[in-house]
Amino acid sequence: MRILIVEDEPDLLRSIAQALREEGYAVDTAPEGEDGFYKAESYDYDAIVLDVMLPKMDGWEILKRLRKIKKTPVLMLTARDQTRDRVRGLDTGADDYLVKPFDLDELFARLRAIIRRSANKTTNVIEIGEIKIDTALRNVSLKEKPVELTAREYALVEFLALHRGEVVTRTQLYEHLFDENESSLSNLLDVHVSNVRKKLGAEFIVTRRGHGYCIE
Amino acid sequence: MRIFNSIKWRLQIWYGLILVVVLAGFGITAIQLERGRLYGRIDDELHRRVQILANALHRPPPRGLDENGQSFDRPPPGQFPDDGPPSQNPRPPLEFHLPPEAAGMFDANPNFYCFTIHSRDGKEIARSTNPTNQPHFNVFALSNVFLKGVAYSSVNFRFIIETLPSGETIVVGCSIAPELNELKLTAWKLAGFGTIILFFGLAGGFWFVSRALRPVENISAAAVKISAGDLSQRINVAEAESELGQLAAVLNSTFARLESAFAQQKQFASDAAHELRTPVAVILTQTQTALNRERDAASYKETVEACQRAAQRMRKLIKALLELARLDAGQEKLKRLQFDFSKTVGECVELIRPIAEERRVKIVSELESLEISGDSERLAQVVTNLLTNAIQYNRDGGEVLVKLKIKNGFAALKVSDTGAGISAEDLPHVFKRFYRGDKSRTGAANAGLGLAISKAIVEAHGGTIEVASKEDVGTTFRVNLPL
Repeated sequence: MRILIVEDEPDLLRSIAQALREEGYAVDTAPEGEDGFYKAESYDYDAIVLDVMLPKMDGWEILKRLRKIKKTPVLMLTARDQTRDRVRGLDTGADDYLVKPFDLDELFARLRAIIRRSANKTTNVIEIGEIKIDTALRNVSLKEKPVELTAREYALVEFLALHRGEVVTRTQLYEHLFDENESSLSNLLDVHVSNVRKKLGAEFIVTRRGHGYCIE
Repeated sequence: MRIFNSIKWRLQIWYGLILVVVLAGFGITAIQLERGRLYGRIDDELHRRVQILANALHRPPPRGLDENGQSFDRPPPGQFPDDGPPSQNPRPPLEFHLPPEAAGMFDANPNFYCFTIHSRDGKEIARSTNPTNQPHFNVFALSNVFLKGVAYSSVNFRFIIETLPSGETIVVGCSIAPELNELKLTAWKLAGFGTIILFFGLAGGFWFVSRALRPVENISAAAVKISAGDLSQRINVAEAESELGQLAAVLNSTFARLESAFAQQKQFASDAAHELRTPVAVILTQTQTALNRERDAASYKETVEACQRAAQRMRKLIKALLELARLDAGQEKLKRLQFDFSKTVGECVELIRPIAEERRVKIVSELESLEISGDSERLAQVVTNLLTNAIQYNRDGGEVLVKLKIKNGFAALKVSDTGAGISAEDLPHVFKRFYRGDKSRTGAANAGLGLAISKAIVEAHGGTIEVASKEDVGTTFRVNLPL
């Protein structure tokens, strides 16, 4: 899962990014509006955390422009908690709304929820044969037994599971699992895939030669 | 009683009473006049009959009596009562003969005119026989009690007692029941008419007073809603011309000012809360992230530093907010001391010069020595704020010009920079609280309160502060303080 955070308060930006990375997300950051909009339209993020008050281009404007081209789930972050602000945010096309100050746990839960909704899933638990993926607890079990996965491995499994039945290209996987700061070593993905196959079974992830990967 | 406290009901009762008095007076007068007219007519009739009766009495020339001692011309029994036993009076007894055409004036008349005639010594000479003939007509004493020739009324009866020069007393009376009935009818008609007028008068008055007082109801309804907290209420002014309409208009403008003052206060509070939210968010996320797992010392240090920055920012903000609140409430006691303002400005310039040099901004000052009275510390704050802005928003290698001189009896301070200037869109708002041209928090220390505080301080000194700006040329702030 790759997430973009657009926030102009550097301390806040840094701590949210760090916390999300520790949760296993790939995180990009933008300290002001124009940069934020550029990144939001360039990459297919799984979710965007967008502050309302931003220099150069404010959150409303970014959201308005983005909604013309993309359906990326957006969580608005703002210090305004008046109803009309919430209504405006949701009407402009925000998927959720969080008022500062907030608890990180709530931010995580809301992010999971908007990502899940955008993938048309209603529960946190995805079942594929004997494999169960709990996106809230971020764990995977095989035949009711928990399986130890690294954060990156879990992210790979979750992304493929959310796009079950679709062929996911390597480029897509790179975009969603690694952030802008990581050099995409081309064999890193293969390593993760093979590790997951070792832990969850060789047939769990199907390789489509020349296309990408898929969970059926 | 609630009714007596209401102007509407008091007015109603007051003119209702007046209307009743006027109508009653009018009705009673009308009845009196009518009665006078009716009685006058009856009295004329009575007088006429007295005359006829008097004429019907005549004394025959003296002559002898018959063997019975009775007169020859004895009237038929019943119609002409006996003259009584033969008197010792040498005068011959009176004879009474009512001409037949006159007889019709009594019995047959619908008013039942009746009469009695008594001789001087109280003997009845004649009386009519119709049923109206009242018992008291027999009482001769009547003639002594009542004035002669004047008409009197008894219950349904009116009569005249007249004494002829020869000593005979004639009483003529009649029933006035028909007239009284007529009078009663007229009275009822008048009463009915009066009631209708009273009704319309009250109804019309009620309508009129209600209409006139409706603005008062509107006013009180609006005031009730406003005191309950709905400040957007306004009085519906239908008649702007009337006195109450004018009052309502005045109240409306008061309410509008009240509402905008409240809205400003609310906006201020919400802005203040908003400004505090971000540093709190920083502290929360920083600490929660740090506590999520074990970290190394450097990482903890970083977290603590971030928290410190957030706390510093909050402290600054709280200080500014308190200052504004005190200035607003007029609690901030301003010292009123005579001091050399040019010295104060010079000190501010020197204090800020290092920061200016850091940004490679040159400060040029032309200060005329002058004294003003006021709070030097507060005014220094204003100067520092203006200088800080001039440096912060200046271009690299720019210039700040500080000029102080006496102009039109004011100490005129001018601070101009060579920065990017303020857009015409933002210019009218720069003194507003929390207003920031770039709509962001860059420069976290600046919450957009500095100019608002400066303005409050200058105005507390009886001075003015204004701004002029040209984009890409620079901004000039002018402060005028009374000498």
